[in-house]
Amino acid sequence: MLLFTAKRMLSGILLLVAVSIGTFFLAHLAISDPTAALLGTTASPAQQAALAEKIGLDRPLLVQFWDWLSHAALLDFGVSWRNFQPVADQLAIKVPVTLSVVTFATLITAVIGVAFGMITGLRPGTWFDRIIKGISVVLFALPGFWVSLVLVMWLAVQLKWFPAVGYVPPTQSVEGWLRSITLPAISLALGGIVAVAEQLRNAVIAQSRQDWVRTLRSRGLSATRVNLHILRNASPAALTVIALMFVGLLSGAIVVEQIFSLPGLGQLTNQSSQNGDIPMLLGITVISIVFVVLINLLLDLVLGWINPKVRVA
Amino acid sequence: MKRMPLAIAAALAATLALTSCSGGTAPAPSDDSGVDSPDALNIGNFLDVTSWDPSLADIGFDGPYLSAVYDALIALDKDGNPIPSLATEWTVADDDLSIDLDIRTDAVFSDGTPVDADAVVKSLEYLKAGARSGEAYLNVSSFEKVDEDTISIRLTQRDDTILYLMGLGRSYVMSPASIDADSLGKEPIGSGPYVLDSATSVAGAEYHFTKVDDHWDAKTYPFAELSIFPITDATARHNAMLSGQINVQYGDVANLEQADQQGWNVAQRVSGWAGLVITDHTGAKSEPLGKLEVRQALNYAFDGAAVLAAVGSGAGVATNQVFPDGGAINDPALNETYAYNIDKAKELLADAGYPDGFEISMPMSPIFEMWKPSAEQALNELGITVTWDNMQMPDYQLNAPNYPMFISFLAMDGNDVATVSRQLTSVQWFNPEPDYAKNEVIAPLVEKVQSARGDEQTAAIQELNQALVDQAWWSVWYQANNIYYTAAGIQLQPVVGMMFPTLRYITQG
Repeated sequence: MLLFTAKRMLSGILLLVAVSIGTFFLAHLAISDPTAALLGTTASPAQQAALAEKIGLDRPLLVQFWDWLSHAALLDFGVSWRNFQPVADQLAIKVPVTLSVVTFATLITAVIGVAFGMITGLRPGTWFDRIIKGISVVLFALPGFWVSLVLVMWLAVQLKWFPAVGYVPPTQSVEGWLRSITLPAISLALGGIVAVAEQLRNAVIAQSRQDWVRTLRSRGLSATRVNLHILRNASPAALTVIALMFVGLLSGAIVVEQIFSLPGLGQLTNQSSQNGDIPMLLGITVISIVFVVLINLLLDLVLGWINPKVRVA
Repeated sequence: MKRMPLAIAAALAATLALTSCSGGTAPAPSDDSGVDSPDALNIGNFLDVTSWDPSLADIGFDGPYLSAVYDALIALDKDGNPIPSLATEWTVADDDLSIDLDIRTDAVFSDGTPVDADAVVKSLEYLKAGARSGEAYLNVSSFEKVDEDTISIRLTQRDDTILYLMGLGRSYVMSPASIDADSLGKEPIGSGPYVLDSATSVAGAEYHFTKVDDHWDAKTYPFAELSIFPITDATARHNAMLSGQINVQYGDVANLEQADQQGWNVAQRVSGWAGLVITDHTGAKSEPLGKLEVRQALNYAFDGAAVLAAVGSGAGVATNQVFPDGGAINDPALNETYAYNIDKAKELLADAGYPDGFEISMPMSPIFEMWKPSAEQALNELGITVTWDNMQMPDYQLNAPNYPMFISFLAMDGNDVATVSRQLTSVQWFNPEPDYAKNEVIAPLVEKVQSARGDEQTAAIQELNQALVDQAWWSVWYQANNIYYTAAGIQLQPVVGMMFPTLRYITQG
């Protein structure tokens, strides 16, 4: 298991380095003159040159890259070109917002998706199964942003149970924090619930038909214990979907953050792109890749724990 | 002259929509006399503050943020005329080479230090050096302290726009200690009517302010509580207002009917113009554009009202002038000068020697795609073949002025002298090489404007405006409105030149 983990971590680090290199050079290629975007159109050439010197743009690109990489390796992502505040400090403010919403959305997806998947998988063809499948088709077909707007109009504007926009940090108010991330999380979770439920349902149906299930039942095990065994064997498919969904939600959060005006990574990415703030974009890229690597590693470990054969794959 | 990113300005023009109206309508109370005014002002702004450091900040949407924590030396009235603020009065020298300002002595920075002549001079020097704020002080040689409550601005040449630009948002006074500490971007220290509450604010999401009880101009800022929420998405902003989280918003005309149903007040005013910027009036870059008939043909070929209806949902005024509709200079009668007439346009083009049109390259950016079909249709009808060079917005601002003409949306100014300067005579991103001096009609009129004063100057600007229309200096299609919704009991006065007005223009009532 240790070797398995080490291999996965090494591939994750290689991915991180490769994507960072690609992002660095692509960003510099796409943003020809960041000083114009950063200083505005009223800045004189001398002011632009001074800023270029201040942020090191006057050096060869490879020197800039090495400088960034050597500092990033020590978790120093430099300062934002826009406000000269440390990138890490700003990420520390923005990351919890996006993580809060995405994690909550994943939790909602997992709980409801697994429950629906199990119930419908254990009783395929029943009226409940048909209702859930019908709901699933509808949910899957509805555009996420439209669902978000309906939720806002109903639960925030009419009933005033939740705020329509904004984010409250948990350090200020746990209740306020939960209320501020509930609607965005539900909006993000709806599509995922359908995917998880469908995957798990099919896996449960497939496992239920296995000989070992009949053997367990013939030995007199309770239905609950048998179902737990089925769930364990059927879970890899659902876990994979949940993990992929978490990664997908990180990018999906951009739209939700805009609709609910949340100051998360999505908003920061938009601003940084418009401003040509390359250090911030690189910081966002690194932190996003770290999440992707960690989630995949966690998934591999869980799958390896569930099914030892995976560890030697 | 950038007070807002051009990209944003263009996007706004597309999203704003309203039936054509005269610009400068004061906020009209929605039959709610007797309604209690709220004590809390919660603003839904379009953009986040670009920087709490006034030297790095834009003007466009930064007004509410910066005017909360800083006092300006000079403010503007609703028509763009300078009015006293920290400077109680000023005197322009007879030779126009210095301006003496009397500084009030009862203002205090939130760090406890008094606002005095030394602090004002330090702030002005800092602003002059600023990449964005420096635009106001291009003709300043020095700032001098005359005595404890008087400073003098020494100029290298007459500058008719400096007081206007200072009032627009380029004269915020900062604590000298915070300038020295280079901490303004994170912790703004001013003498304004409110203090930023960093503990409860969430950068990029919501900013909360504490009222300064003994502010010298407290009556101008009646709200006991202030919060500003940057909400870029128009629907989110509207929902926030519907749910009661905000009570003032930068609005979208699509919600006008609902605003009326809700009993909100509606205020609107023109903010910028859309059309073709012609950078070459001599034929240096494109020979045809050097001919008056060709430029006039480009004016006849566009149906401004139709473009406004299609792209801007009618939110504005079809006009061919760059002076704000409803102002002292804009003459509605001139709007008929180039009433849509494609046959006349073709005739003029033939007279100029281009009966089959000509070829031209123009830049294009995603932001301006919404105007591209209108432009293509009109130009194609004239036989003008356009090669579109696609680029991203930052590159557009860098490269577009190198083309003989390009589509743009440019913010306007409420001040007429500033309009002459910023649209015509001074170097701007969209006008890097002003060529008005090479035009024998325009050049003497500009000279007349620059040498005249008072009513004589106003008359000269009116004459210049007429000439600019006759000379088809641009192909202006329309001026777009900004619209604002406020809850009952709150009034907002739009100001041309500010995409979102400063706090002094948001009042109870």
